[in-house]
Amino acid sequence: MRFDLKVALRYLLSNRLQSALLIGGVAIAVTVFTFNAALINGLAEFQIQRVVGNSAHVTIEPARPLPAVAPARDGAERLVAAQRSLERRPQIRQWRTAEQVIDTLPGVTGVSLNILGTALASRGQQTVPVTLKGVEPSRLSAIAPIEEAIVDGEPRLGINDILIGRKLAADLGLRVGQPLYVASDQGRERTLTVRALYATGVDSLDSRLAFVNLDTARVLFDLPEGITEIEIKLADIYAARAVARQLADTTGLEATAWMDKNQRLREALEGQGSSGNIIKMFTLITIVVGVASALLLTTFRRRPEIGIMRSFGISERFVLSVFMLQGALIGIIGSVIGCLLGFGFSILISTVTGGRLPVDPSLGQYDAALLLAAAASILAALWPARAASRIDPVEAISQ
Amino acid sequence: MTAPARARPHGETDMDVASPPLLEVRDLRKVFVDNEFETHVLKGVTFSLGRGEMVAMLGPSGSGKSTLLSILGTLMKPTSGSFRMLGRELTALDERDLSRFRNQEIGFIFQYHHLLPDFTALENVLFPHAGRVGRETREGRERAAMLLERVGLRERMHYRATRLSGGQKQRVAIARALMNQPALVLADEPTGNLDRENADAAFELMREIQQETGTTFLLSTHDRELAERCERRIYIRNGVVADEAALQETATGQPLSPAATWRVIGGAGAMVDRTRERGAREDRRRA
Repeated sequence: MRFDLKVALRYLLSNRLQSALLIGGVAIAVTVFTFNAALINGLAEFQIQRVVGNSAHVTIEPARPLPAVAPARDGAERLVAAQRSLERRPQIRQWRTAEQVIDTLPGVTGVSLNILGTALASRGQQTVPVTLKGVEPSRLSAIAPIEEAIVDGEPRLGINDILIGRKLAADLGLRVGQPLYVASDQGRERTLTVRALYATGVDSLDSRLAFVNLDTARVLFDLPEGITEIEIKLADIYAARAVARQLADTTGLEATAWMDKNQRLREALEGQGSSGNIIKMFTLITIVVGVASALLLTTFRRRPEIGIMRSFGISERFVLSVFMLQGALIGIIGSVIGCLLGFGFSILISTVTGGRLPVDPSLGQYDAALLLAAAASILAALWPARAASRIDPVEAISQ
Repeated sequence: MTAPARARPHGETDMDVASPPLLEVRDLRKVFVDNEFETHVLKGVTFSLGRGEMVAMLGPSGSGKSTLLSILGTLMKPTSGSFRMLGRELTALDERDLSRFRNQEIGFIFQYHHLLPDFTALENVLFPHAGRVGRETREGRERAAMLLERVGLRERMHYRATRLSGGQKQRVAIARALMNQPALVLADEPTGNLDRENADAAFELMREIQQETGTTFLLSTHDRELAERCERRIYIRNGVVADEAALQETATGQPLSPAATWRVIGGAGAMVDRTRERGAREDRRRA
């Protein structure tokens, strides 16, 4: 064993109460750190899953036309706003090619080819604006688990069928098997049969979205060949940006990741993360202050001993190392205990609250806590260690 | 085996003639400055120590003995002057080199044992070696054990320092000072904290080790009896090395001859003043 480590350990063991209190202080700070991380990250994950679980991770849409550039009189270029065509909705004509590209990507768990458009749904005197989503029947649940969310009826999607949310059905006073009159924004009309009701728990889906067969949507929205979007689900939701960038580069279409489509969610999560970081920062400051003050006292108490060591030629570096190692040992032992306590506490709270508090023990950032707490302890030991190494042996011995 | 204990003004020894001295001190001065006040503690100390000598350093409290030992032990820098040890001018070395030199060539024994209380006797003795090489080596442990056996503490080598008696602690301190086989051991009143019996035992131990190993010992002491048993004595008074014969005359209260007065180098003024005061007191008594 290194001799400086032996001396550091002996010093820690010689004053067990002080060492236990110091290690306990670091452990409590790390417990707060990891529990806070498990709570904040668990909450973020819960929110993300609620949003992302029922929606696409990457959405491919038709490329937006570049604005026209008209030459100016002085020879410079000038941007001119180009009015979008109102005659026909933007569409993805080469969707088969895009689908082939998507099939080559790793980590894709689901793909849905959609035609999306707005329509008015009427029953009797009741008329409600809805979003119609035309999908292939076999891929009904590729993005949102609609089949799992069926509360009444069968998830069949023939060309005359429509699936609607339970809330929309309640608004229109509809039941399974009853007809629903639908008029698209392209002026096409059709009467469809309500085949099933679903309840996802997401209000926007349950009250304003209806699913129809992709072929039905082609007729309603006057799109005999193209589609309006391709939705993709990924195994790793955080890979969405990279996948979107890759798809945009490959297909020339516009590909957007879920985090860029949900600006508010992102802002909320960032705010949540920032407040969590402030708490973590305070726990680290607590470690630095606690360890530094205790080690300074130790340095003062051991001045004569340090003077003696220096008198028989022990180097400043050795003394520095002894006190730095004490800080490191306190930090490492304290943070390991703190991580175990934080993990245990997270499991306890998660169990006691029955999942109402979305604490995720696996998201406690234990590696970061270990690293930061140990680093904070070593940093805290630096000042006392330097003070110890610079003690004047003559003065210290005569103390 | 040793030179007779006789006075050698200014530290001149027979060995100086025969072989280069272990330590040569020339006009060493130390001034402490506190705010605007200067305290001249050493005022030009000059002497030398031969290899294998045991020399006692005597002098009243505040005469500068401890300061001189601190400087010779490279724990403190002199204000001016030079001292060479083993042919090296130590005033020219930086802190790191001094630390290394101290570790390898100088051993310290203090009045109060100054053992590290959290360590065993063996670990205390081993410390100067293990601290230098960075770990406890088998050779180091064997030497530490051998030294503890030599000072009669083999049975207690695994005792914590706090469990040893005062005399035992000082014997451990002596063993520790010898761990790295230094050329010079500086002992600052090493028996000052011990009773007569333990003081004699500790001194005899140092004497035996000095004779066995040829290590040079410089002992600062107030104990004239122990000092008489050393080969040579150096007297420090008012920050300079004083003449033994002159001091003996002042100590016996005999009128000081002008020659003896002026043999007290550097501290002459103070000695003359004191002699005059004593003379004046006796005059008053007679009157």
